[in-house]
Amino acid sequence: MEDWRRIDIDAFDPESGRLTAADLIPPNQAQVTLQELQPKIQQIRSMSTSGDMISAIQLATSDPPYGADDSTKAQYLQAVLEALGQTRQADISNIIKQLSPKQHDVLIKYLYKGMSVPEGQKQGGILLSWFEKLTQEAGVNPVVHYLSDRRTV
Amino acid sequence: MSFNEKSVLANFKLVKAPIYSHCFSADRTLLAITCENKCLVYRLQGATSPPSLVATLENHDKTVTAVDISAHGRIVTCSQDRNAYVWEPLSDGSYRPTLVLLRINRAATSVSWAPSGYKFAVGSSARIIAVCYYEQENNWWVSKHIKKPIKSTINCISWHSNGVLLAAGGTDGYMRVFSGFIKGLDSKDAVVNSPWGDKFPFGSLVREWYQGSYVHDVKWNSSQERIGFVAHDGSLNVVDSQGNHQTVDAPEGLPYRSLAWINNNSILCAGYSCHPVLFSEANGAWKFAKNLDKVSDANAKKSTVSLDGNDDEEENNAFGMSALKKFKELDLKGRVSTAVQHSAHENAIVELKAFQESNGQVVQVSSCGLDGEIVLYNV
Repeated sequence: MEDWRRIDIDAFDPESGRLTAADLIPPNQAQVTLQELQPKIQQIRSMSTSGDMISAIQLATSDPPYGADDSTKAQYLQAVLEALGQTRQADISNIIKQLSPKQHDVLIKYLYKGMSVPEGQKQGGILLSWFEKLTQEAGVNPVVHYLSDRRTV
Repeated sequence: MSFNEKSVLANFKLVKAPIYSHCFSADRTLLAITCENKCLVYRLQGATSPPSLVATLENHDKTVTAVDISAHGRIVTCSQDRNAYVWEPLSDGSYRPTLVLLRINRAATSVSWAPSGYKFAVGSSARIIAVCYYEQENNWWVSKHIKKPIKSTINCISWHSNGVLLAAGGTDGYMRVFSGFIKGLDSKDAVVNSPWGDKFPFGSLVREWYQGSYVHDVKWNSSQERIGFVAHDGSLNVVDSQGNHQTVDAPEGLPYRSLAWINNNSILCAGYSCHPVLFSEANGAWKFAKNLDKVSDANAKKSTVSLDGNDDEEENNAFGMSALKKFKELDLKGRVSTAVQHSAHENAIVELKAFQESNGQVVQVSSCGLDGEIVLYNV
């Protein structure tokens, strides 16, 4: 017998109008292409190689590419992860203190995203210490925002 | 502690289940709460003695999600069984139920009488707001649907005092204002010169705001034509007809489940932090003002310090150190948990309602929580 309890009845109802993945994308999101984003990625990279970590993190956490496709987001993430990983432990809390609450919210998105990909897991320790310092500074606010925000990085 | 005593006026532990919604009658003598698949009606007997149960309304066969009492004393309940009942008070203190067929295929989540008491709106998971009114000729409650452009569950609804504009927030991250104008029931005079528009045909979308996260509660401030709403990202938002949108974040980070306007420049919020928080507006910006009934950190610390001090000499004993320490910590935990002060609510607060007003300002607020308690706060 067919397992009728598991039948997706909404799929048979054209009027159901149920939520699709597209419905969850926030409205009025600006589309960003890799070409448009490339200069910013370069800038983050050059700042972090020259050791200007504060500027690199501040640039990375302002106006992130929410409206980009997955591969573009991955490239941007890569640059952010490099910057995060090259920061010395002792500097972390100092940098976090200089970020705005909005930048905290963006930073925690990259921390979580970093922990979810192999490249980030290799430097999991440093991501965790970023996370620790961030929650010491800003409390659970960024975490709550992260959980409920549909703009993903 | 003295602060706690000052802000908490009364604390009634009524049931052992969560109270999702509560409402007082207009004269503040009766209290209706939801409890599992029933609605319990109590008579208040002052702040010190517990309210006495006067009626149990049990026709729903699933969890009752919301209750509201009209200006005339009619109680409306809605439930996950997709129905609503209107309970007409009879002279002997009992209630006569009338089923309202909402014509929805998902749970009803919220209900609110229009200020006139002749119609009410029900929010539901079926992506529908049902506006229901009584039709004399058919002896029947009629339900009209607002569908578009709602994309997900409606969590909360609030009527403007003109009885036409209806604000609703939901899990699609939008707070929307609709028209709930019913021909033959409402008069167009109510919305003359409204800043929200000229024409309000039933079901039309008047405004919408995108918040992104679940909108938990929404409340009109009709005299100022402003709307306050709280969302799951821990924000309190205030919007108006001009498109202004002000946001302030919860200082403790945890989201609010409910809000209540105290006066034109202050709003009380409460939610997962288990105590109310007052926000006020100064120079056009909303700011955190104060915590009500918050257990102070200083007191909690003091009690643990004194416990540590008592056990100093035993800690020098090297033998069986780790096991002893483990036991002591367990023991300590037990003692600390009994010594810890609780706020009046021991679990999340899910609804706030104005209880008493004086000089145009709310001075007492009632709340219900997942701990099964009703608390009255002095603001």
